[in-house]
Amino acid sequence: MKSILITFDQAYYERILAVLDRQNCRGFTHWEQVQGRGSKTGEPHYGSHAWPSMNSAIITIVDDAKVPTLLDILHRMDKETEQLGLRAFVWNIEQTV
Amino acid sequence: MSLYEGAVKKPIMTMLCFVGVAIFGLYSLSRLPIDLLPDIESNMIMVMTSYPGASASDIENNLSRPLENTLNTVSNLKHITSNSSENSSLIILEFEYGYDIDVLTNDVRDKLDMITSVLPDGAQTPIIFKFSTDMIPIMMLSVQAQESQAALYKILDDNVANPLARISGVGSVSIAGAPQREIDVYCDPNKLEAYNLTVETISSLIAAENQNIPGGNFDIGNETYALRVEGEYADSRQLNNLVVGTYNGAIVYLRDVARVEDRLEERAQESYTNGVRGGMIVVQKQSGANSVQIANAVREALPALQKNLPPDVQLGVIMDTSDNIKLTISTLAETVILAIVFVIMVVFFFLGRWRATVIIGLVIPFSLIASFIYLAITGGTINIISLSALSIAIGMVVDDAIVVLENVTNHIERGADPKQAAVHGTNEVAVSVIASTMTIFAVFFPLTMVSGMTGVLFKQLGWMMCIIIFISLVSSLALTPMMCSQMLRLQKKQTRGFQAFYSPIRKMLDALDHWYSRMLNSAVRHRLAVVIGCAAFFLISLLCARYIGTEFFPTQDSGNISATLEMPIGTRMEISKDVASRITAQWRKEYPEIQVLNYRVGQADADNVFASMSENGPHIMTFQVRLSDKDERKRSMTEIADGMRADLVAYPELAKYQITAGGNAGMGGQSTADFEIYGYDMAATDTVAQVLKRELAAVKGVTEINISRGDYAPEYQVDFDREKLALHGLNLATAGSYLRNRINGSTASQYREDGDEYDIKVRYAPEFRTSLEDIENILLYNALGESIRVKEVGQVVERFAPPTIERKDRERIVTVSAVLSDVPLSDVVEAGQKLIDDLDLPAGISVQVAGTYEDQMESFQDLATLALLIVVLVFIVMAAEFESLTYPFVIMFSIPFAVSGVLIALFFTGITLNVMSLLGGIMLIGIVVKNGIVLIDFVNLCRERGQSVINAVITGGKSRLRPVLMTTSTTVLGMIPLAISQGQGAEMWRPLGVAVIGGLTISTVLTLILVPVLYCMFAGTGIKRQRRKLAKSRELNAYYQEHKTEMTKQKITRV
Repeated sequence: MKSILITFDQAYYERILAVLDRQNCRGFTHWEQVQGRGSKTGEPHYGSHAWPSMNSAIITIVDDAKVPTLLDILHRMDKETEQLGLRAFVWNIEQTV
Repeated sequence: MSLYEGAVKKPIMTMLCFVGVAIFGLYSLSRLPIDLLPDIESNMIMVMTSYPGASASDIENNLSRPLENTLNTVSNLKHITSNSSENSSLIILEFEYGYDIDVLTNDVRDKLDMITSVLPDGAQTPIIFKFSTDMIPIMMLSVQAQESQAALYKILDDNVANPLARISGVGSVSIAGAPQREIDVYCDPNKLEAYNLTVETISSLIAAENQNIPGGNFDIGNETYALRVEGEYADSRQLNNLVVGTYNGAIVYLRDVARVEDRLEERAQESYTNGVRGGMIVVQKQSGANSVQIANAVREALPALQKNLPPDVQLGVIMDTSDNIKLTISTLAETVILAIVFVIMVVFFFLGRWRATVIIGLVIPFSLIASFIYLAITGGTINIISLSALSIAIGMVVDDAIVVLENVTNHIERGADPKQAAVHGTNEVAVSVIASTMTIFAVFFPLTMVSGMTGVLFKQLGWMMCIIIFISLVSSLALTPMMCSQMLRLQKKQTRGFQAFYSPIRKMLDALDHWYSRMLNSAVRHRLAVVIGCAAFFLISLLCARYIGTEFFPTQDSGNISATLEMPIGTRMEISKDVASRITAQWRKEYPEIQVLNYRVGQADADNVFASMSENGPHIMTFQVRLSDKDERKRSMTEIADGMRADLVAYPELAKYQITAGGNAGMGGQSTADFEIYGYDMAATDTVAQVLKRELAAVKGVTEINISRGDYAPEYQVDFDREKLALHGLNLATAGSYLRNRINGSTASQYREDGDEYDIKVRYAPEFRTSLEDIENILLYNALGESIRVKEVGQVVERFAPPTIERKDRERIVTVSAVLSDVPLSDVVEAGQKLIDDLDLPAGISVQVAGTYEDQMESFQDLATLALLIVVLVFIVMAAEFESLTYPFVIMFSIPFAVSGVLIALFFTGITLNVMSLLGGIMLIGIVVKNGIVLIDFVNLCRERGQSVINAVITGGKSRLRPVLMTTSTTVLGMIPLAISQGQGAEMWRPLGVAVIGGLTISTVLTLILVPVLYCMFAGTGIKRQRRKLAKSRELNAYYQEHKTEMTKQKITRV
């Protein structure tokens, strides 16, 4: 089991949900409004006057086998609309109840 | 869930909500009546008191003065004027606008109750009378007749006037120029004397004989019968056989001493239409009824009425106020449609996408239509003000939607799904859209609170604009995001045709962006030069103000001219009639523009409500002229009126003439400069009035001067010697009534025929009342039946009756009013003021400028206060939005240039500064600061993103150039149809359009340069101040760190 944290511009929300559904990843946790900025080029998403856009974040726990396909799809999605900004980070899950 | 999120998620509901509002709005529109102006509640109350037998000065001292003194204490009174003429006093109370007239009427009634007991015994109870614009006739019909002339009154009364009066909303229908039938018994005084008869005996005999008397019921056998004596004459000729007495045993019949004539009344007003004798029917509306609806109903009824008339009687229309209203409104409606087309073209030009244009375009009808609901609910009408509001709003309602659409497009171009882009894109700009709408509210809401006459007009405009702007705000936050989510797509490919069409426009816009950023770059580096240049421009533009005249409202070419011509008092009607017919022939030849020319001459009948209210008499001729429609003639209404005045100079017979073009001065009529001369001494004030009249005549642009005080009228009076009267057992009342019965006649009885009643009048035959001897020889009889001639107890003398004594604000007054033609009111008032200053006024006489000029000054003051209030409100809104006092201050600098723009535009178009152009100027305050807000907001954003001040100003300026130009050009182009319109009523709103276009254009151009420059200066000093503060605190900190140990030690030791 691995966890994937996906942070993205709010506008992606429905498309990412669709991807998760397609990939049979049922469980996830969604934060509707998170702030952040990219390390290199990513535009800040602060919801402020200067940077009005906001990010959202989804964390989903999936089988190891699903990780590569999911990341691949997300990467393609990011490539298509780079300006919006989408990142995914993978951790190991040590234990669950 | 926010408004826009809900709207995007539920497109059907959103769409249907708006469609529902639109349907409701269109339904309201279909039921809205049309009128020229919003309903202006009357602000005048008249108090009429009659005191038979009192002269003008008696009336003034015993009635008008005490009444004035008491009524003066009624609250909210603006002016109190009175007319004291023989037998009656008329007091006119003029109140401030905006108060409930019913409450004021009650106040007046209470005050009258207090004073009534103090009034002279002979005076009758004062009558309160509310004056309103409804008294003005809405329609005048002409009647031409040949053979039916003799019976015209009855024909018209039965077949036209009564059916018309039944139309709902019609107040009264009066017939003028058609004399009524009358049975005259013309007595021969010599024969009466010979048979020992008097007019009174004959009169009472006729009354006694011409009667039906019911005799009660009686029974015969099984039946009950009614008993009647039917003595009423069935034919007027039967009167001839009336037995009036016996003389030496022989019966004297009425035919022996008098002749009976079944004819038309002796003194009647005659009416001529286009030179042909006929009648005139005047239709007045009920208070509160709608003129256009009534006029339409009357016009609809005319063909059916015409069918019932004899073939030689032809009905026509002389004047129809609804024509002007309908034409004006349709011209204005055209400009509204044109404005919509222009605005949509601008949007397409800048956005270059038809989907975007459709989305923006949809906001316009929805916002505008919603305002009709407000009108329907508040009982408003489609009028100049409400339609102007629509016209002004068109350019503004799209602004919010454009901002929203632009941001949504940005999101889509960055790759977001249209739905998500619509929600998030709207969310980001919602606050700034609401804030910029607030500035517009800040401008229009105070308009609803203006007082006075202008307040009545602008209240509706203020509410309409607030509602339209509010609906446009809601549409831009709900309808626009929803439509964007449904219609906008990421544009992946453009058709070749579209590219060929739009790429030159795009290239041009790009080049403009580039040029502007280069110019801005050099401007911010030469800040001082730019500021000095702009200041110089502002000062130079102020010079234009010296050459701009001012007036209250522009004169409107309604195509109606009325004229009152007066021959010397006492001129016989036949002479006046002859002059009138010569003038008519001349005018009809000289002015082919005249469609209908009607004139009335002679004494009006007391039954005629309309005519008896206006001046009339055998020496007065009243003309009504209707010109062809404005676009069908070359000469304007005022030119023709001026020509007519020039023609009248060639008639030395005329004692006085007054030509009124387009109705009352002030509201669209030809304006007049009124000078009021206060002073008790009638002769002295008369002299001043005459001098002023002569001097004013030389002032350029003055075409006619009228003095309000009438001339002394010559009359014959019989001075009875009371002692001689008493010796003969007579008194003044008896003697007076004897005179009256012989000359004016006594109404003996009524002759009935076909349900109508006609007066039977007994008097001397006309040939026996043509000289002073006839009067002197009149026989008076005392109770013993002895006869005495008038000359034995009194003498007939010629005297001059003093004119009506006019008073205003409890002082005697004469008004000299100068009618102006094509010159601003301010010029003539200025010239007049100078004349007055040079005049050597006798003690106790003062001259004041009043009338329209007074209204104008009051309105201008109101509007100036309003402008100040609006500036403060707009500043507050901006300061709240920016959370700063500096930026709003910088933006405020665009307002002076709006003033320059208005002045320059007025200067070059030769339009005066009037209430309409001032209104345009006031609206500009909100519109021009909007540009500054858009600009500064984005510059701030760039700075927050980390750019330097100059860089932020240039990038911000470059990226906001198009939105600023776009919103400006939508407003300017929306106004162009108003400014260039030539149709009926265009004079009214042209100043508004010109002012907005001039002010907005100049102010926008300068805002785009000056505001960034000033921003740099203020931000620069702000940064320097911050740096100094920082350096100071750093120094302090260093000092503290250095001496930290000492300071902490001290504290410890103290503890």
